[in-house]
Formats: sequence, structure tokens, C-alpha cells
Amino acid sequence: MIFLLLSIVFLVLRVLPGDPARLHFGERAVKPATLIALRHALGTDKPIINQYFDYLIGLLHGNLGKSMADFSPVTQQVMSAFPATLELAIYATAIAVTLGILLGVRASRRYNHPEDHMIRAYGIISYAIPVFYLGMVFQLIFGLGLHWFPTGGRTYPGMEPTGFQWGTLHFATGLYTVDSLLEGSLPKFFTALRYLFLPSLTLGIVLSGVFVRLTRINMLESLRMDFVTAARARGIKERTITYTYALKNAFLPVLTMMGLQFAALLAGAVLTETTFSWPGLGRYLVDRISLRDYTAVQGAVVFFALLVATVSLIVDVLYAYFDPRIRL
Amino acid sequence: MNYVLGAVLIIMIVAGLGYYFATQSQTATTSSMMTSSSTGNKDTLIIGTTDSVATTLDPANAYDLFGATIIQNLGAPLYDLRPGGTDFVPALATNYTVSPDGFTWTFNLRQGVMFSDGTPFNATAVKYSFDRGIALNDPTGPFVGVGYGTIINRTEVTGPYQVVFHLNVPFAPFLALMPFSASYIVNPNYAPFNSEVNYTAGDPRHSTPMDLGPYILSEWNRVGGKDVEMRLDANPNYWNSSGGYPKTQHIIIKFYSDSTTLALAVQNGEVDLAYRQLRPTDIIHMESIPSLKVWKGAGSFIQYLVMQENIKPFDNPLVRRAVAAAINRTAIVSTVFQGQAQPLYSIVPIGMMSHQDVFKLYGDANYTYTQTVLSQLGYSSTNKLVIDLWYDQSGHYPSEADIATVLKSSLEASGVIQVNLQGTDWATLDGSNLPAGNMPMWIFGWYPDYDDPNDYTYNFFQTQGSSWLNDHYSSSAADMVIGQALASRNTTERIMLYGQAQQILATDVPLIPIFQSTAYAVSNPNVGGVVIDFPQILRYWLLYETVTSTT
Repeated sequence: MIFLLLSIVFLVLRVLPGDPARLHFGERAVKPATLIALRHALGTDKPIINQYFDYLIGLLHGNLGKSMADFSPVTQQVMSAFPATLELAIYATAIAVTLGILLGVRASRRYNHPEDHMIRAYGIISYAIPVFYLGMVFQLIFGLGLHWFPTGGRTYPGMEPTGFQWGTLHFATGLYTVDSLLEGSLPKFFTALRYLFLPSLTLGIVLSGVFVRLTRINMLESLRMDFVTAARARGIKERTITYTYALKNAFLPVLTMMGLQFAALLAGAVLTETTFSWPGLGRYLVDRISLRDYTAVQGAVVFFALLVATVSLIVDVLYAYFDPRIRL
Repeated sequence: MNYVLGAVLIIMIVAGLGYYFATQSQTATTSSMMTSSSTGNKDTLIIGTTDSVATTLDPANAYDLFGATIIQNLGAPLYDLRPGGTDFVPALATNYTVSPDGFTWTFNLRQGVMFSDGTPFNATAVKYSFDRGIALNDPTGPFVGVGYGTIINRTEVTGPYQVVFHLNVPFAPFLALMPFSASYIVNPNYAPFNSEVNYTAGDPRHSTPMDLGPYILSEWNRVGGKDVEMRLDANPNYWNSSGGYPKTQHIIIKFYSDSTTLALAVQNGEVDLAYRQLRPTDIIHMESIPSLKVWKGAGSFIQYLVMQENIKPFDNPLVRRAVAAAINRTAIVSTVFQGQAQPLYSIVPIGMMSHQDVFKLYGDANYTYTQTVLSQLGYSSTNKLVIDLWYDQSGHYPSEADIATVLKSSLEASGVIQVNLQGTDWATLDGSNLPAGNMPMWIFGWYPDYDDPNDYTYNFFQTQGSSWLNDHYSSSAADMVIGQALASRNTTERIMLYGQAQQILATDVPLIPIFQSTAYAVSNPNVGGVVIDFPQILRYWLLYETVTSTT
């Protein structure tokens, strides 16, 4: 699947109009011989099939190539942008799943009551609302209006965490909230959280709609099953039945959706990162497409694909934990 | 219910503690930044921008406005442009002389100047800088772009503090080249002769060869090839520190993804000063906010229409003149830029030596002229002149889609022209259509390399210099006057010659100037020293922010 994806991306980029060599000069004058030399240096003067095999061979050696825009190694660029996206993805998923499950369970317990209708409406609206619009609304309310949160960036200047440091030993994850704790700095941790709050809340709310609806429908089914009736007959508390028995049974589809939503989360991150000037992979991808930086776009897409595949694998492994029948 | 209440209580406590810690730590960081100096200025200023260094901070390679801005704040030239003025003032040189034939330029250098690592600055460093830039011959860099290798024959050290440039041609604007970032002097210890200096993560010292200027680069974070944060600290060896510069000890630059986020950041107090790019509507809004100060300065960015003369109907100068007359520049400036630009009637910008409003000859929205000329060519309200107008809609030029829309309506208001808009992204426009030469008419823009009319004439309608435009315009008369102006060292004569060149442009109309930008910055009211002048380079060393109380 990854092979197919990278082949399509490779082809689409070459079909798009635009010359990566010419773009180096912008409005500037450039001699034809200079352009030819640069195309040669970038390898874009070769037949597409040769470029394709060169790329595949490089990929097999774990080499994503060099950026056509600034000649830096793509792997280095992708890895420098990845921690910001990962941190945003982790917190956004946490918010989406927490909101989705809590509201979904609540709606199922209040089936057909006004509360249920309101939660269902929330599920539809949050799913339909454009992520950049919600982001801007939050920026205006919580940033400009209340001055509670910053409107962009990852942390306050000078508050970048260094990670764990002991003598010459240094370890950092690139996740500011983790690195600040490794450094032992609570102020840096809370500052990073403050900057993370609006982007992750925005993305989390947009993603939560699916989880609300999915949790609600599966909980409704679970709550009607025999084992729930049996549990009630034994006098077990309703809260225990809901959260321990029924939710565990209803969680499997939610878990599946978490895996599927990861791709949507990355797509949402592209817009969220632009809205909040969040220096992650999403922004990187958008910038590089506009520069016709073939190698960088291919590298980012391959990385995204590997990420989605890895998350799917993790979800499959987690099935076994939540549903012991799979282990049989 | 008790669980819910408990969870809410815990969240509130954590949030409260978090808010306390975060705000306290930021206050502490800010306080350390605000430790007042003897002049009563804040020690640190935070600048927000949507720009980013395109590639490197090596003058042999950097050919973008923001890269040039940083190079010029980290380095120093032989001669500089006076901030806010149009004259050149000595910097690393104390004076210069030119031979009568204009081929030999001799610069006497300032003595006692040191690089930040203690290496003495002398004539050898100047020769090294120019020789290196020319030898590297980076096709995407400014040395090739401006043609230093064509202009300079050799650089000679004639004394420890004297350097002589021997030119291939008598290049009159040679002094104007000095304030251009490519002419800034590098530290030979950090600038290998055979390779360019690239960004090195976590190592700002080895990420630029510049350190003769008011600041040294102390932090530079890039993610995915784009800037995230940059920190400049005052250079303890700065040659002009006795003059009280830089006025602010530390400059922090924060980078935003778009104009909207930048505008929000300055309104929210996250940055002290926002410069480039703010949208006209945001500027108007911020002008009404008492806690903000809007700075207005000269702009050197121009936009113009280009017509390809080997494609009908633009092979006929009468058609080009008819189009020039129908353009409503006033409408573009008032509608698109809310008055934050100036109508432009020459390719040489307003305020630059020799500028003449030559296109006023055709007027603005002069539909009578357009109808009369086009009717002679057989066009009418039933047989309209049909034009495909290409423009960028990906944001490379701010507001270009709006400009195209107003252009369409103003041309069509003549009643004899029909415009088909062809919007595309910058990569397609510049990277595909321009070289292929399949656009009959398109909108383009220009930022200057150096402050001289040669930069605005040679590159646009001198046959060799304008070949990149692919408009197939060639005029021996224009070539002759531009060549004469380039060689002449008599200012009066140069003004006259460039005036003649502009007259030829207005007669032949290979391109039509539309507008000249006005540059804006927005700051908190305590910020001062914002000088926005022709080069659009913000001099950080002039910036300061007064503190109301000392700590």
C-alpha cells in the first residue's frame, strides 16, 4: 500500500505544472544554461522512469533524498518537524477520545432525552465545522478576548525545554511537555501546555464528533444486551455496569475508529498547524508543495503513510487486550 | 456525580496552578529581559514576522529579503544607505575614490575593527569576501543574479586598510551595490572559500559567516526548512557601539505562518513589533486600537503587467497603449489596498532618482482613448479585444487575486475589452508558464537588489537584462540610453538618460506599471526606532522599547 501511495505521489508531482529549478530564482533573471545546470543537479532532467527508480533505490537504503528547495536532507527536515505534530496529535486524540466517550456514554444513558439530542447535535456540528474556523474563533475568544492563551507558536521565547541532561548525557524527545518534565521544569511544562491548549482543543473537538456518535450507538446496543440485564439483576451499580461492562464491550469499534481517524488527524493537523503557526509536518507539507519540492513532499507522504500503518498495527495489537476472543 | 465534581475540581486546581506557573515564569523571563539599561530601554525586543530565511545566511547564497535582513543586522558593508535617507554613508570604509574613467574604485578602510572572535578586519577580509562570492558562482545566489563577476574584474589589496576594485565596465551604481547583502564582509574563519555556510542545527556560530555587525546570531531554530525562532545578541566587538548601537541588547524573532496569526499575535501582546506581512484590512483595524502603534514607510515593491510581444494582439504597440489607458490604478489602490499603496506611472519607483510619471500620458481609466485606438484596429463593443490575464493566486504576491479582479473590471469598463482571468499558483506561473512563454499577459512583481534606477530599467527593458521576462521586447534605443546611464558618473546626466529610458518605455509599452507598495509595521506604543525605508530592511539596531519603571 505504501509502495502504491508513493508511486502515485511521485507521478502526480511530476504531472503538476511547475519547475523546481525555475522556482529557485523567483522573479529573478536566469540564464537558460544556469537553469539546465540546476535541473541536472536536481536530477529533474532525467527521464521520469529513471527518476522513479533512483527514488525507489534511495528509499530502499533509507534515504529520502535532499530537498530540491534548499538541498538539506529530507529525513532531517521531516524528523525535525515530526515531534511537534506528534505532540499535537497525542493531546488532540486524548481530548477527542475523552470528550467522545464521556458525551457518547452520557447520551446513551439519557436516550431520547433533550440531553441526548443536544449531544447528537454536538456530534454533527463538531464533525462538520472547519478546523481552521474553529481555531480562529478560539484565538479570538481565548486569545484576544480573554488573554488566557497565546494565539500561536509552541512556547514562550526562551522557554524551550532542553530535556534530560546529566553531565555529557543528553536525552530529548522533541515533545515540549515531556522534555520540560525530563528537565524538571514545571514552569516550562505549564508554558508548553498553555501553548498546546488551543491547537489541541481545536483539533480534538473536530475529531470528537465521530467518537461521540460511535460511542453512543455502540453503548445503546451494549446496554440492551443480556449480560447487562444479568448484571442489573445481580444488583450491580448502574455506574459500574455502564463504565466497566458495557463500555468495554462498546469500546472495540471506538478503538478501530481511533486507528482510522489517525489519518484524518494528520490531515486536520495540516490546517491546525497553519492556523496556530505550529511548526509541524502539516505546515512542512503545505510549504513544500507550493515550492514543488518533489523529494520533500514524497518524503513527508512516505513518513505519513508509515505512521498511519504503524498506528493501525498498534490498534490491531490492542484489540487482543480489549477482546480476549481474538487471542483464541 | 461526586466523581464528576471531583474531576472538575482537580482540573480546576491543575489549571490554576498551571496558569500561575506559566504566567509567573513568563513574567520572570520577561523581567529578565526588561532589566533596564542605562538608557531606560528594554533589553529584549520580540519581533514577529511571516518571513523566513529562504536558504542560508551566507551572503554568497542568500537572495531573499528576510535572509538579507538578518545578514545586514549581523554584518557590515563598506558603505551603507543612511536609514530613512537615499544617500550613502561610510561604514567599514571611511572614504572612497573613483578613477576618472570609472573603472577603478579605491576604498580606505576603518582601522581597529574586529570580528566577534577577535580577528582583525582589514583589506584582506574585503578581498576574501568578494573573491569568495564570485568564485563560488552560486547560480541561485546574488553574485550571479546581480552579475558581480561580470562587473568586477579583480579585487586588489593595496595596503592593510586599502582595497581597490578593478571593474570590467564603468559601473556607475557600484557604490549602491555596497549596502546590498551580497557585499557584506564575511569572517574568513567561518566562511570556507570553496563552500557555502549552511544552517547547522544547534550551532548558530557555524550557521553564518557574519559577525561584524551590531548583532551576533546566538540562536536559530528551523523546523522542516522554515524558521521557528531566532535570537540575536549585541556584538561586544561592534565597531559602532560607541555610537550607542545597538539600542536593544537582544532581539528575538518569532515566525508566524500567515498574516492573520501575526496580526493576532501583536494584538495579543505576544510580540512587541510585527513587520511583514500584514494585510491592509488588519492594518486599518489596528490603527483604531489605542494600545498599538502603526508605522508607515516607503515601499520599493512594485507590480506591473507584462505583455508578450510575439503573441497577438500584443505584437501591436497600439493595443498595448490602449490597455495601458484603460487601467484604473486609483481603483486598485483604494479597493485592494485600502489606500495603503501608490498608483505607479513608471517602472522606476516613486522617490528614486530619475522617476518620471511617464504613463500619465495615457491617463487612468481613460476609456475614450482605449475606445478610439481599438476602434481603429477594428475592435468594438460587439467585437471585443479578448485578453487572457494570468496571475498568481497562491499568495506569493499578497492580494494578487484581488488586483486581477479589479484589473478585469477596469479593462472591461472600456466596453471594448473582454478579460478572461487565468489564476494559478506561483509554481505554475513562474516555474512553468514563464519559461514556456505561453502567457499573453500576466501580473508580476519586483523587489529591488540595490537602490539605483539601473535595477529597475536594465532588468526590464534592456534586451539582455530583460530576457528572463520572456516578453520578447527589444529596443536598440533603450539599450543605448541604459548603457550610457550605466557608464556615466555624472548624476545630472544619469537622471536625464534614465528619464529618456522611461519615455521609451511609455512609448513602446512592453509592460505597464500598476502600483508601488507602502510598507507597514505595527508595534506596542513603547517601541521606537522603526525605520522603514526603500530597501525594506528593518534595522534592528535602531529599535528600542522604553520601560515605564526600572527594576
